[in-house]
Amino acid sequence: MTGVITGGWNFVVAAYSITGVALIVYTVSLFTRSRHDHSH
Amino acid sequence: MLSALRKELLLQWRSRAQLLAVLVFGAAALLLFSFAIGPNAAALRQFSAGFLWLGLLLSSTLTLAESFHAEMENRALEGLLLLPASARNIYYGKAIANWIQLAVIGISLVPVMVVLYDAGTMRIMTLVAVILLGSAGLSAPGTLYGAMTSQIRSKQTLLPLLLFPLIVPALLASVKATSLIILGDPMGEARSWIILLIAFDAIYWSLCGLLFGRVVDE
Amino acid sequence: MSKVPYILLVLGAVCLVAGSAAGLFYAPKEQYMGDVQRIMYVHVPTAWNWMLVVIYALICAIAFLFTSNYKWDARLEASLEVATLFAILLCCQGSIWAKPTWGVWWDWDPRLTSVAVLLFAFLGIVALRNFVDDPPRRAIWSSVATIIASVDLPIVYYSVKWWNSLHQQQSSPSTVSSQFHFPLRANAFGMLFLMIAFIMLRSRIAAARLENEIAPPLEAA
Repeated sequence: MTGVITGGWNFVVAAYSITGVALIVYTVSLFTRSRHDHSH
Repeated sequence: MLSALRKELLLQWRSRAQLLAVLVFGAAALLLFSFAIGPNAAALRQFSAGFLWLGLLLSSTLTLAESFHAEMENRALEGLLLLPASARNIYYGKAIANWIQLAVIGISLVPVMVVLYDAGTMRIMTLVAVILLGSAGLSAPGTLYGAMTSQIRSKQTLLPLLLFPLIVPALLASVKATSLIILGDPMGEARSWIILLIAFDAIYWSLCGLLFGRVVDE
Repeated sequence: MSKVPYILLVLGAVCLVAGSAAGLFYAPKEQYMGDVQRIMYVHVPTAWNWMLVVIYALICAIAFLFTSNYKWDARLEASLEVATLFAILLCCQGSIWAKPTWGVWWDWDPRLTSVAVLLFAFLGIVALRNFVDDPPRRAIWSSVATIIASVDLPIVYYSVKWWNSLHQQQSSPSTVSSQFHFPLRANAFGMLFLMIAFIMLRSRIAAARLENEIAPPLEAA
């Protein structure tokens, strides 16, 4: 492959954001579900 | 095990109308695939192997689900397990019976494929061998999961959901080998795919037989 | 209750922030791939840790079949969920990398395709767990299904590799600039700490639910 891929920061930001958001959402879901269980 | 097998085959022979219905279903699927592609003879021929195996895969969900139906009706599974014939023999009896049924469907769909997609071949014996090996790959895990899902609700959706990801290697290898047989195989690649199929079958026929006992334990 | 998972969560987050910052701002531009290659600093650690969770799930499945101790079933439930999460992340990251690089969202890379297949397999097992109410049966069946799916993973990988090699020749996505390992290692440890914390916390939830379902007391997860 010749030449350089210019730009592409959108994709990088997208990848890191999706990863970060997913991990945060999952962590929150763990706390929510654990609280739900304990309230029983 | 032979008596278990004999019983299975007898059951299947008695319900051969069911087998015919599945065959018609498979043929109908192949017909639908051709409508999805359109009257493009070259494309149809090129993808004929894929259509054949997809048709067989879809048909397998019907036959595999059916194979434990008799036991579930009469709670006969518990009775069977009380016999000295161990769970392992029951498994292999059922798996072989399912294998034969799938192979029959597969081989019967070949003429349909030849007619609809203009996909004939001179290497009939090799094609039959691939169909035998591929159906064996579907039957081994299919029988195990058939036993599981027959005992719970939503069995129709769960069996394909569990089975399809698992048999991807067998599907890949069968389609590639069949495709090479139909379209030409100048470099003899079909052999490596057939070896992959044999390895897949060997692994899953032993592994599923080993685990079946735990699955039907009450 | 053990504080370890919470410590691991914080540690993991710190490592990930450090590693990602380094990968995004301090690592040099890759020669041909440009900035897009920075995705690898998060993709490769996710892949390593996914592999670890899958192996752990297999261990839990085998352990349950041998010991019939429900703590292993709780851990299996946790690993199935975490493995599914990581697999979805891997497919997203891989697609996002592939689009600017190869112009397509999916390029049948053997590694990514195997992840996708195993993702569907694990989703099937999670569905199975949801449809079986009887705890012993649910535990045995998911253990059996997990073993079968895990054994399949290498077979799927090799078959897709051979299948793909007939059509495309392309470099694998994990070529990383060899001068800069820090972001890779920091993110790898960050994900590892998070992963362990996730499994510990999720196992607790599963164990609590099992306690409600079965009479005999459970050992602590």
